[in-house]
Amino acid sequence: MKPAIHVRDLTKVFKVPERDAGLKAATLSLFKRKYKEVRAVDSIAFDIQPGEVVGFLGPNGAGKTTTLKMLAGLLYPTSGELDVLGYLPEKRQKDFLRQITLVMGQRSQLNWDIPAIDSFELNRAIYSIPRKQYEETRDELIELMLLGDLINKPVRNLSLGERMKVEAVGALLHRPQVLFLDEPTIGLDVTMQRRIRRFIQEYNARYNATVLLTSHYMADVQALCKRVIVIHHGKLLYDGGLAGLVERFSAMKTLSVTFSDMNGHAPDFSTFGTVISQEPNRVSLRVGKAETPNVTARMLADLPVTDLTVEDPPIEEVIEHVFEQPKEDDEKKETA
Amino acid sequence: MLRGLKLFGLFARISTLNEMQYRANFFIQLLQSFISLGTGLAVLAVVFSYTDNLHGWSGGELLAVMGVHILMGGIMRTVIQPNMGRLMEDVQEGTLDYALTKPEDSQVMVSVRQFAIWAVVDVLMGIIVLVWALVSIGNRTTLASALLFVVAMFLGAVMIYCVFLMFTTLAFWFVRVWELMEMFQSLYQAGRWPVGIYPDWLRAGLTYLIPVAFAVTVPAEALTGRLTPQTILIAAAFTLVLMWVSRAVWKYGLRHYTSASS
Amino acid sequence: MLARARDYADLYLVNAKTAIIGQFQYRLANLMFLVHLVIEPLIYLIVWTNVAEAQGGSVGGYTASTFAAYYIVWTLVRQFNLSLSPFSFEWRIKNGRLAGELLRPVHPIHYDLGFFLGIKVPYVVYWLPAGLILWLIFRPVIELTWWQVAAFPVALMLGFLVRFAMLWLLGLITFWTTRVSAIFDLFFTLELLLSGRLVPLELMPGWAQDIAAWLPFQWAFGFPIEVLIGRLAPDQIVRGFAIQVIWIAVSYTVIHLVWKRGIKHFTAVGG
Repeated sequence: MKPAIHVRDLTKVFKVPERDAGLKAATLSLFKRKYKEVRAVDSIAFDIQPGEVVGFLGPNGAGKTTTLKMLAGLLYPTSGELDVLGYLPEKRQKDFLRQITLVMGQRSQLNWDIPAIDSFELNRAIYSIPRKQYEETRDELIELMLLGDLINKPVRNLSLGERMKVEAVGALLHRPQVLFLDEPTIGLDVTMQRRIRRFIQEYNARYNATVLLTSHYMADVQALCKRVIVIHHGKLLYDGGLAGLVERFSAMKTLSVTFSDMNGHAPDFSTFGTVISQEPNRVSLRVGKAETPNVTARMLADLPVTDLTVEDPPIEEVIEHVFEQPKEDDEKKETA
Repeated sequence: MLRGLKLFGLFARISTLNEMQYRANFFIQLLQSFISLGTGLAVLAVVFSYTDNLHGWSGGELLAVMGVHILMGGIMRTVIQPNMGRLMEDVQEGTLDYALTKPEDSQVMVSVRQFAIWAVVDVLMGIIVLVWALVSIGNRTTLASALLFVVAMFLGAVMIYCVFLMFTTLAFWFVRVWELMEMFQSLYQAGRWPVGIYPDWLRAGLTYLIPVAFAVTVPAEALTGRLTPQTILIAAAFTLVLMWVSRAVWKYGLRHYTSASS
Repeated sequence: MLARARDYADLYLVNAKTAIIGQFQYRLANLMFLVHLVIEPLIYLIVWTNVAEAQGGSVGGYTASTFAAYYIVWTLVRQFNLSLSPFSFEWRIKNGRLAGELLRPVHPIHYDLGFFLGIKVPYVVYWLPAGLILWLIFRPVIELTWWQVAAFPVALMLGFLVRFAMLWLLGLITFWTTRVSAIFDLFFTLELLLSGRLVPLELMPGWAQDIAAWLPFQWAFGFPIEVLIGRLAPDQIVRGFAIQVIWIAVSYTVIHLVWKRGIKHFTAVGG
């Protein structure tokens, strides 16, 4: 089957003006500007099949939104190959736009002054949806999202969560085949997050739509995505199953060891593994999974160990570690 | 009162320091002020190409009125309008609570938080135009009339503030009051001309409803030797009334706001 | 082709309806806006009435009551030629709204045009009482002929299209720079002086009229007013229509070109 989204060597370089402080520099910069190049997205590649729900992970500034915008046709790439549903996104052909949608959790597309139902009607006209299909889809989505009477109130008077629900329905009225969801649950409470998630699931199941979603909430990703793509500093770090992600980045284990008094004769722990933290009688080490039995045995034999635990870090922490320690990331990538 | 002034000084310093980072804004403001001055001069030139006096005011005297108008407008845009705009925004976004939870009188608090340093350009421009006008008509300004002018300006600014505050308080009841700013601006534009030219009903409105007459015409009268002692006394009395009424309106609005919002 | 035309008609209609629903919601805001709109010509009217009286009744062929006619029709033309402010364009680019609009399979200008056509309905409705009151206070004199009445709506509509295009084009500058307020100010000053907004163009100095002849401003403002109050002969009106149409054609062509480049720039830097 032809993939719904096809990405090869995708790169986006921004030129950012550099300016020194002060009036003189500001005046000078009017005439001659210094630029600095920032690689927001650095030759990433992936394919997404029709009907797949893929989580797109990375810390702030990793290049997630930039990638989504390029896929939606809002940004044109510096270089690389891009294909969404057989279209080149940057051309923003009408037939392409009719089949995609972009939802940004922090930005509203609805008119705040009028009830949502009137905004929906506007979307019908914009996407030239046949009347019958429109009514069908609308009622179906309204039911799916449990919107009820909310559609008759001016959007201004809705709570953040209610607004997001209405926003999501409005964005799907034209039955898009590809959904780009940028932080769709941001700022919502847990129940509301769950509702939005269910909605995305249902929509995906019913229309076999392809979904690419970014979120800060791992719960979103765990509930929705079998597959995740992790990018960091614009580079692709990982692409595969969610289970594999845990497996892969917890290929390391954390060893916490407590000793009885060693009278200041602490050995060089780096011969056992990477030292995370060290106190006089305590040490935390990161050790490769395969070597763990070996290292544990050596420690128990050579050192006055009083307590020893081996931990598999939770997924949030795994990802956090990946993102917080850029140098180690590179190492891991090379060994992968 | 003294605490309020201190607080004002503090906020003014912070926002000025902050604005200093965006000095290009200064040049833009300068450009805008010149454009606006040019427009005003062009209008005067067109009118006075057909006549040599408008309701007893000569072209030079009208230039003085324009100077006062720019000067007062500058004061308004530096300290009054930014605060009222912020207040409206806060009511809409629900962030007014931050201001209300500070250990300070709420009216003082919402009136001193903002300071638009670049609008000071208009204050300076107004003074220059005013001096230029006075020199060109050969006006011999006495110390007494200069003093009277300063008093009249002060009273006018306070009145503008009070009325602006009352209008902004409407934001507690109505969601969208941005049009208010525009309405206020265009009513203030009426002050470019001495209020004497307007028909009675409009003059009354521009005197007691939106005190443009007190804010612009009266100070200009002080400088051109037209001011009667009664007028300045009425201005002082009216200022006191407005201060009292606007405070009452503010308190009433605030009570409505704190009991209605969630 | 027919289906496409129907789609567009549908889009304009729904959009206009949306604008009307949204606008009628804010009665106080509308009232304040109306005061804002009426006060400006009122000042001009009173100043010029004063001048006319000081000059023994008339200035350049305008008496107090023809000035009244001019500035009362002015208020209707103003309500009608209200367009998207370039400041809104700036806002729309800054807060990312434009990005969403680019993802719709319709050019945003249709969207704005539909909206501002719709909004004329509430605006004209709100104008009626204001116009009536002004009429009763200032007692204008207009001698109407059938062709003035017939030509006025056409001049009004074409005038709106001219002004809408100018302001939309101006807004597009925001694609390249965010410090646009001074440019916008300059535009509005030129419009004030050279469109017949401040004063009938006939009263401006000759050289200013010569400059104005080469600019689009008067075709969106002074021209429709002069059509209705009867300062123009039939052949001048027809000539005016032609110039309006030329300006519309020119400005929409320029918009088309600038828009393409602007979008290219916008999608390179990412808004």
